Amino acid sequence: MINLYYAYQPIIDFFLLSVGFGYSQQIALRAGVFSIATAGFAAIGAYAVAILVTKTGFPIVGAVVLGMVIAGGAGLVLSLPLARLRGAFQAIATLAFVQIVISLLLFAEDFTGGALGITGIPRVVNTGVLIFIVAFVMYVMWSIGRTGLGRIFDALRQEESVAASLGVNIGRYHAFAFILSGAIGGLFGGLQSLYVFQIEPHNFGFAFMVNVLTVVILGGRTTLLGPIMGAAIMAILPELARPLAEYRPAVNGVILILVITFLPNGVGDEIVFWFRRRRHAAAAANRVKVKEAKNAVTSS
Amino acid sequence: MLSQQILNGLVTGSVYALFSLGFTLIFGVQKLLNFAHGATFMAGAFIAYYCTISGMPFLLAIGLSMVATGVIGIVVDLVAFRPLRKRGNAEFPALVSSIGVDLVLISIAQQVSKTQVLNFPFGTFPVKFFNFLGLRISLLQIVILATVAVLVVLLIFYLKKTSFGRQVRAVATNERAAALLGVNVQSVFLQTFFIAGALAGLAGVLIGLLFNSMQFLMGEPYMLRAFVVVVIGGLGSVPGAIVASLMLGVMQSLTVAYLPSGLTDAIIFTLLFIVLLIRPNGLFGDANAVAGGTRQ
Repeated sequence: MINLYYAYQPIIDFFLLSVGFGYSQQIALRAGVFSIATAGFAAIGAYAVAILVTKTGFPIVGAVVLGMVIAGGAGLVLSLPLARLRGAFQAIATLAFVQIVISLLLFAEDFTGGALGITGIPRVVNTGVLIFIVAFVMYVMWSIGRTGLGRIFDALRQEESVAASLGVNIGRYHAFAFILSGAIGGLFGGLQSLYVFQIEPHNFGFAFMVNVLTVVILGGRTTLLGPIMGAAIMAILPELARPLAEYRPAVNGVILILVITFLPNGVGDEIVFWFRRRRHAAAAANRVKVKEAKNAVTSS
Repeated sequence: MLSQQILNGLVTGSVYALFSLGFTLIFGVQKLLNFAHGATFMAGAFIAYYCTISGMPFLLAIGLSMVATGVIGIVVDLVAFRPLRKRGNAEFPALVSSIGVDLVLISIAQQVSKTQVLNFPFGTFPVKFFNFLGLRISLLQIVILATVAVLVVLLIFYLKKTSFGRQVRAVATNERAAALLGVNVQSVFLQTFFIAGALAGLAGVLIGLLFNSMQFLMGEPYMLRAFVVVVIGGLGSVPGAIVASLMLGVMQSLTVAYLPSGLTDAIIFTLLFIVLLIRPNGLFGDANAVAGGTRQ
């Protein structure tokens, strides 16, 4: 058991980080924002932590929290211009945001080390820490789902004009979604920094963006199970498809096309929906039974 | 020096125009972002390269690669877009599935080229320079400018004057109404994808010649540039895309020449952001249209 754990530890850690980034992407999509800014938030969090820890000797926990706050603030700032945009335009604007972050990281060599990045970050994050923080983020996401905030996000995603007519301040709640997406993305960016020892701007480029998007599309955009399923598939798939290792991006691409075409809600969401439907069907059947029993009693 | 930079910028910008026109055409007709456009561009350069080194005449290689990338465009529509259109509200799903096609094409190209940088063999295109009013211009640059100009004129003629072009514009304005009037919408989509793919493929060959280096990820920066072009020019606007491409090309060569290196991308994408902020429909777009849906 212990040997098994050591053999697969990198995969488990990769899975946990992917789940975290997945939640950052999911919260935006859940609120109906076509944001692909998670890569930018992760880069901000990762560099904030790396710079604070290696250059100023800031306490590590404080650096992670500060990185999270900075990335959340970036989310807030980003949400202001994006309030006027929808759909494809939002996707393009967030893509531009990621490009701006990356090119500034490349440019500001004195702080960020340019293309070489930052090395010698203390490796303090292990599987236990990651499990604890993923569980915490899941708890936060679960609470959001249980409260009015989650219902408002769902309403905004499904039909914005209806939400507006019910008195929802669209700009404010989109800003909330961006702040949460930024904070979660920044938090896991910081953790990645403290896990991989070395970061560079291109870690957070187009490939990162596609991976995060894949996690959420495969898993699902609305349920807590979504990113977990998506990240699990992404982590296990390369192990199963060893012969196709050279064509891994192609395999990912084919899976993306198949899932978005035939399982548009994602694997995790479909599973949750299936259970919900079954529960509702069972409840309905139960109601019919109770009614029949009552009728039987009254008629006799 | 300044005018030389502007000239170089115009040449690069004209290739951007070729690339962005297909992208903006697809958006104009379908209202969908085609993320596989960059990979189609790369495929154009690759196919022309492999045809050339197998001994084919260069012009034939270019023609073949344009047909092949046009077919790739059609495949993108059939595989990634058509199944999603049937379901309606395809905006986000289509973005995802076209990223899927992008990954497949890039992965194939990576295996074919063994992750190496490819160069056209020396002498594929005659290296010749002219001096003109103190400017130094190569034969290749002249040919690129002329080709792009001819193709742009042809495309505008096709869109404005032919019956096919009228059908394309009818579908772009209102797909349902066009279908009711007997326009075969699916065939219009296939046509626009073929044209977009062929233009992207040619752009790939020209960029491959101009910088004489091709690798499997070469499409990515151009696709990001295309976003800038179509936003500044107005998504779906053909004249806007041309003007914005030339502007972007000139701006890029000026920032590279006169500002610290590495700032170019930051400046370009900040400009995109500012345009989205002030005029979300672009400098040449319809000022009354709403940027991608409801606005509060």
